[in-house]
Amino acid sequence: MARDRYSPPALGVSGLTKSYHGRPVLKGVDFQVECGELVAFLGANGSGKSTTLKCVAGLAEPDAGTIRLQGTELSGLSGKTLAAARSQAAMVFQKIHLVPRRTALDNVCAGALARTSGPASLSPLFFSRALREEALDCLDRVGLADRALEKVGRLSGGQQQRVAVARALCQRAGVLLADEPVSALDPNAAEHIMALLAELAHTHQLAVAAVLHQPALAQRHADRAIGLLHGRIVFDGPAAGLGADIQDQLYSPERTSAA
Amino acid sequence: MSLQTHQPDTATPPIATPSAAAGSRPPLPKDPQRHRKRALWGTAAVVIVILHLLALEGTGFEPVLLVEGWQGMARFIADSFPPSLDWEGVIAPGLEATLVTLWIGLLGTTLSVPTALLLAVLAARTTTPHRLAYQVSRSILSFFRAVPDIVFALIFVTAVGLGPFAGVLALICHNTGVMGKLWAESLEETDQGPQQALSTTGASRLQQIAHSSLPLVTPQFVGLLLYRFDVNVRSSLVLGLVGAGGIGLLINQAIKSFQFDAMLSHIIIVLVLIIVVDQASAFIRKRLSL
Ligand SMILES: Nc1ncnc2c1ncn2[C@@H]1O[C@H](COP(=O)(O)OP(=O)(O)O)[C@@H](O)[C@H]1O
Ligand SMILES: [Mg+2]
Repeated sequence: MARDRYSPPALGVSGLTKSYHGRPVLKGVDFQVECGELVAFLGANGSGKSTTLKCVAGLAEPDAGTIRLQGTELSGLSGKTLAAARSQAAMVFQKIHLVPRRTALDNVCAGALARTSGPASLSPLFFSRALREEALDCLDRVGLADRALEKVGRLSGGQQQRVAVARALCQRAGVLLADEPVSALDPNAAEHIMALLAELAHTHQLAVAAVLHQPALAQRHADRAIGLLHGRIVFDGPAAGLGADIQDQLYSPERTSAA
Repeated sequence: MSLQTHQPDTATPPIATPSAAAGSRPPLPKDPQRHRKRALWGTAAVVIVILHLLALEGTGFEPVLLVEGWQGMARFIADSFPPSLDWEGVIAPGLEATLVTLWIGLLGTTLSVPTALLLAVLAARTTTPHRLAYQVSRSILSFFRAVPDIVFALIFVTAVGLGPFAGVLALICHNTGVMGKLWAESLEETDQGPQQALSTTGASRLQQIAHSSLPLVTPQFVGLLLYRFDVNVRSSLVLGLVGAGGIGLLINQAIKSFQFDAMLSHIIIVLVLIIVVDQASAFIRKRLSL
């Protein structure tokens, strides 16, 4: 698992700016996430955490700045090459965003759509045996192999989020972006998901960037923490160093209401 | 009631009286919108009343006529009683024609599915590939929806002659417009999240639609399809009156030849058909929503 020390970071973001309706939301954001590392993003509501992840995932268009995924810079790419580069980053959401009426296995298979093409890729009835086997492996890695044929809507919130993680694995992405993956879950399920994300980072060498709202969760599970305040990074260091002073700065009401 | 249990002592006053509170809080602000809203509602009420007076006048709406003429209606119904039970001459042809009516409604619904689906996907802001495609498909849907099926039937009769085929064509056209619009609306109302999530995996637009938008709206789509089948079977009754065959045609002929007992038999058959179709589609819809 020893990485070449000159290899680029799995995710590198520099000078990222973004404004909505003339109001700056990101004011020059720079950070890197390495393979095998779980980085927690912290910050008050509206500080720009989701926008940062969305810019990486292609759900928002940055105004300026560079985003590198596994060494490939995204700006300047378009069409198929951009889609291929983007598929290097998978995203899971607070609201999970699976299709509840479909089985866990079918939802996980959908993570591989970028690699499959043609009319047969338009229906789960025609997913190949190989893909279904791979999807089952992914479900196994999140501990849900025995629920493969269950409709997602019948699973608990924590299980659904694990299916979403399995879909990200089936995407074969090196970078996993998680926007408040545990905010809608009870404490047990939250612990479980965070432990799973940490395991994926540490044993499967994924680069994981997770937005969290509880500093305690970050301290327990993350290797590093990044603190955002009004679209700027004000803290970037070991999660253990996330002291009370930093937390006060990130969440103090005077500063956040100024936004 | 709960006040008594919560506030046994008087350390904090109970609910403040308006006069007591008036000193500590700002006065009730003047809301300039209130007058505007009142004027607006008042004007709307006056306009609506005037429109209704004009409409009542224009349609000769006189309940007195109905009260005075009810005997005529009763006599007409009494005359047609009892319904004819003549198998050869009335019931058998009636059942056969009812089947034709059902077939017209079925084909008019199912054969418009491909066109309606295509236009719906193009005409929903959330799935359309391009603004232009959106505008064009919206216009096409509006046109097919605006032209009543009976007008389409009259046009198609000139091409394919009197008979059920003209009715099927007419329903396909009108139903494409209505169902496409309804489907496009349910596509727009559905949660965008799953589609966005798939877009981040690198899935193509078509794959996103096939694996998130469409599966999410399938229950609504099927429900609307069954509802339209229901409506189309009833429409095909009316189309029968203008020559598109089926039981509507038989009812028309029975009236024209003063065979009111046969007419009554046919109407009873129609009622049974409509109830059966309605119940069957309600049953399937309920099953689907499970
Ligand atoms: N699509 C959008 N349109 C307009 N404003 C947006 C949009 N998305 C986010 N914003 C604004 O950008 C700011 C940062 O949002 P976000 O990145 O979601 O914050 P966070 O995830 O840290 O709570 C907020 O003030 C929000 O209102
Ligand atoms: Mg957010």
